[in-house]
Amino acid sequence: MFQNNLKIVWRTLRKNSTYSLINVVGLAIGMAAVLLIYRIVDFELGFNKNFENYDRIVRVVRHDRNAEGENWTTCMPLPAANAVEQAVPQFEEFSRSRDAWPTLTVPDPNGGAPLKKFNQPDDMVSFFVEPAYLKIFKLKLLEGDPNTALRDNGSVILTKKWAEKCFGDAHAAMSQTVIMDNLVTLTVRGVMAEMPANCDFPIGCLISYATLEANSRNYFYGEDNWGACSSNNQAFALLKSADQLTAANEVVRTVGEKEYKMEGGLENEQKVHELQPLSDLHYNAELYNPTGRIVTKNRLRILSFIGLLVLAMACFNFINLSTAQATQRAKEVGVRKTLGVSKGQLIGQFMGETATVTVISVLLGLTLAVLCLPLLKLISDVPADAPFVMLLQTWGFIAAMAVAVTLLAGFYPSIVLAGFDPIEALKTNTMSRLTAGSFLMKKQGLVREGLVVLQFAIASAFIVGTIVTLSQLEYIRQKDLGFDKNLVYSFNFNSDSASMAKMPVLRQQLLQLPAVESVSLCSDQPSSGNTWANNFAFPASGEDAPFNVSLKYADASYQKTYGLRLVAGKWLEPSDTLKEVVVNQTLLRKLGISNPDEVVGQELRIGSRRKVRISGVVEDFHSHSIHQPLEPMLIGSRKIYYNWAGIKIKPDNLAATTAAIQKAYDEVYPEQVFSGSFFDETIAQFYEDEKRFSNTCKGFGLLAVFIACLGLFGLSIHAASRRTKEIGVRKVLGASISSITGLLARDFLKLVLISLVVGFPIAWYFMDKWLADFTFHVDMNWAVFAIAGFAAMAVAFLTISFQSVKAALANPVKSLRSE
Amino acid sequence: MIILKDIERYYSNGAQRTWVLRKINFTVKKGEFVTIMGPSGSGKSTLLNIIGMLDKPDSGEYFFLDEPVHNFNEKRRTELHKHTIGFVFQAYHLIDELNVYENIEMPLLYRGVSKSERQSMVADMLDRFNIVGKKDLFPSQLSGGQQQLVGIARAIVAKPKLLLADEPTGNLHTSQGEMTMDLLRTLHGEGMTVIQVTHNEKFAAYGTRVIQIEDGFVRSDSNV
Repeated sequence: MFQNNLKIVWRTLRKNSTYSLINVVGLAIGMAAVLLIYRIVDFELGFNKNFENYDRIVRVVRHDRNAEGENWTTCMPLPAANAVEQAVPQFEEFSRSRDAWPTLTVPDPNGGAPLKKFNQPDDMVSFFVEPAYLKIFKLKLLEGDPNTALRDNGSVILTKKWAEKCFGDAHAAMSQTVIMDNLVTLTVRGVMAEMPANCDFPIGCLISYATLEANSRNYFYGEDNWGACSSNNQAFALLKSADQLTAANEVVRTVGEKEYKMEGGLENEQKVHELQPLSDLHYNAELYNPTGRIVTKNRLRILSFIGLLVLAMACFNFINLSTAQATQRAKEVGVRKTLGVSKGQLIGQFMGETATVTVISVLLGLTLAVLCLPLLKLISDVPADAPFVMLLQTWGFIAAMAVAVTLLAGFYPSIVLAGFDPIEALKTNTMSRLTAGSFLMKKQGLVREGLVVLQFAIASAFIVGTIVTLSQLEYIRQKDLGFDKNLVYSFNFNSDSASMAKMPVLRQQLLQLPAVESVSLCSDQPSSGNTWANNFAFPASGEDAPFNVSLKYADASYQKTYGLRLVAGKWLEPSDTLKEVVVNQTLLRKLGISNPDEVVGQELRIGSRRKVRISGVVEDFHSHSIHQPLEPMLIGSRKIYYNWAGIKIKPDNLAATTAAIQKAYDEVYPEQVFSGSFFDETIAQFYEDEKRFSNTCKGFGLLAVFIACLGLFGLSIHAASRRTKEIGVRKVLGASISSITGLLARDFLKLVLISLVVGFPIAWYFMDKWLADFTFHVDMNWAVFAIAGFAAMAVAFLTISFQSVKAALANPVKSLRSE
Repeated sequence: MIILKDIERYYSNGAQRTWVLRKINFTVKKGEFVTIMGPSGSGKSTLLNIIGMLDKPDSGEYFFLDEPVHNFNEKRRTELHKHTIGFVFQAYHLIDELNVYENIEMPLLYRGVSKSERQSMVADMLDRFNIVGKKDLFPSQLSGGQQQLVGIARAIVAKPKLLLADEPTGNLHTSQGEMTMDLLRTLHGEGMTVIQVTHNEKFAAYGTRVIQIEDGFVRSDSNV
């Protein structure tokens, strides 16, 4: 019986090879899409699960609320960390932690230039931590004693890869010396294994916390008060058991109640510490994560939903083509029924057919997915080389997907087919009868049309999504940010006094390069992820303003290098210390001052004491990504805070220029590691997430449109073949080819038109939400929908006309004779 | 074997009823060869479908081998007809995707006959109808007469108690038709109960009894 059915399946597939191909290709693409998305979701959901104590590890964070809104931060003021450590009895272990992105050099024992020097790779983070950190995360050492490895000032644990890079071998690295940031001498006290790819702690090295405390000036280690705060100063703890989270949280919330109030701050400000479980770390966009690779659960849900949509569309094709073809199989059903087959057996047979098609598609889809794995980097962090096909788990998912697809795609057609009345089915002119207008056929027709509408609604929503995201990205690219981001090459340098002393030399050498137009030293480039805020007063003798001002420290060439525009007064004069400042338009606006000239020459107060003169007013520029609003800003000169150099260069031969810059750097700082980047690329990274989302829309939109068109193509073949006789008669009576093409296309285009009406509001709703995330964004006007609508109609028309024209061109004598 | 009592069948068209069969009463004994005749639309095919348990009467009683079929649910009807009735159609209705051997084998599959037994039963049929050489051909490669031969072979391979033939010669040339009727007569001679529907007077004469139907009523019932 099974064999017999299998034979029928195979021969049916072969006989209807076009439909079979459409089904298999459509399902394979849908399943490949789902597999790729499964790959991403599985990867993201596995984050940090490598830690044995996964459900007991917490991070202490802080929830700040004030009149302007609320904010979550990971920062732990030093006294707060002490207080939390002592207050919470549920903690088994507790460790402060501070992120670092060090350079490492292996010194020459004979005192020459360093033997080797390395930048920490961008995808790694190092941490200053206390010995308890190893216990919290249960990190095992390949070399060294975990009890002492992080105890003393100047101790470091390297990962195996670093140890090998520096000293060739893990064991040989023990007790060797490395120099961090050209400042601190460290002794290797341990070697640990590499962290897995899906982990928010891609540890480069672990440096003892005592080292940070001993070098507090070089590392801007916070002052010992409740008001100083940096999100890099964090605290982790291990709960005695996972169910104590609530109890521990209650204790933590009481820490600092008094102290924060005494510290003052803005009006109605409230700062409350909370515990964040490790399981939340990768998915909570409110809180800083040193890797920056946060993926909200919502994003994963959207992604999964997109995958399911694409797969569902492929299933719709299967349903549509199967029921459209059903009339041709009515006879077989009738015969089988007269032979005494039960309805259940027939349903089983057709489900078996679906399962066969599904299995073929799964294999093709898996191949496709594997081929497309490298493309995943366009929309996610998933490394291309992670194991996937060989995992048992993957096959479990594939099996579950195959079963789901078989049920989704096969169930309705099976019911329809098995439901045929044998008497009706076996009447000689079955075909015409069944298509003519029996109730069942009408109902199926409605289902079919409904599914086509749904498919094109999804496809058109994707088209709108693609257009909107692309135009927003283009808007970002072209937007006047208030500065010139092009042709600025910049690098980070050490701000210790020895390095600073040599900076004028380097600057002079750089300025002598013919391709260099200007060099500016600053604490921060015009646009970055950093914020340095302070209280201030204007006029200087008055009360503190009700809002904080952002600070950037920069020299006299900052304006020229970054193309900032003044609206009043002058830019800063060369100076090493803070004497005068430039303010921006937003600051004036928030203070209610309309004439910028009015403030030039007046004094304002920064912090509680320092008074400075306003030398000019700069036009507003975007100091963060355009997700964020413009902020009030002060720029002044203060040499000791400089650690960035921005170099405006001429457009020709960029590679040679950057090479020359690095050469100059290496000559001045032979012991340090150079790391330069173009400013416009740095800014483009702000929008990496948006780019990925746009790529997702583009990629899956393309798939959706393709699958929808495949289905439409199949249905148009069916419609044309069903109406062969009608077309013949019309042609004999003098109908033109175009009128017949139109006749065939009209029915389908009507459906596509309806689908636009369904799809557009949905697309509008979601894209409106997406755009609302940007403070500055494009408007979704009618043109977006006109273009999307036109595109959908055009693609659908092309798809249909291929078959319609063929039908219209056919010789009517032939089609009529065969009747 | 078959007892029909006041069988009625109608289609409702709004408030109106269109009668197809009215007050049909007759009995068929085991071993009879009954021909049902009548003009188009007289209801003879509907009657055959009711006897074959593919259709249900709206009222009346139908006993098959003393079982009250009119009281059966669909599952029991399916079960009964699967084991006792073979069908032959005017349009043969072979399954295009299966070859001759597989078409004949199909009813045995549904009856759960073991593989070796199936092979010998199908081989018997192929032998008997002289189509051994055609067993691997598909229906589209056969003439109409040959297709009907396969159709009959398929209908009787599972040794039904009753053979129903709905205009078995309707699509055939005269010579092929005669061959088909000869075959039915032979089967009848071997003890099979046969009921056929036909237009053709000559072929009606192959049977032992002719029932004339007109406008849903039995007009005459006579032995040949």
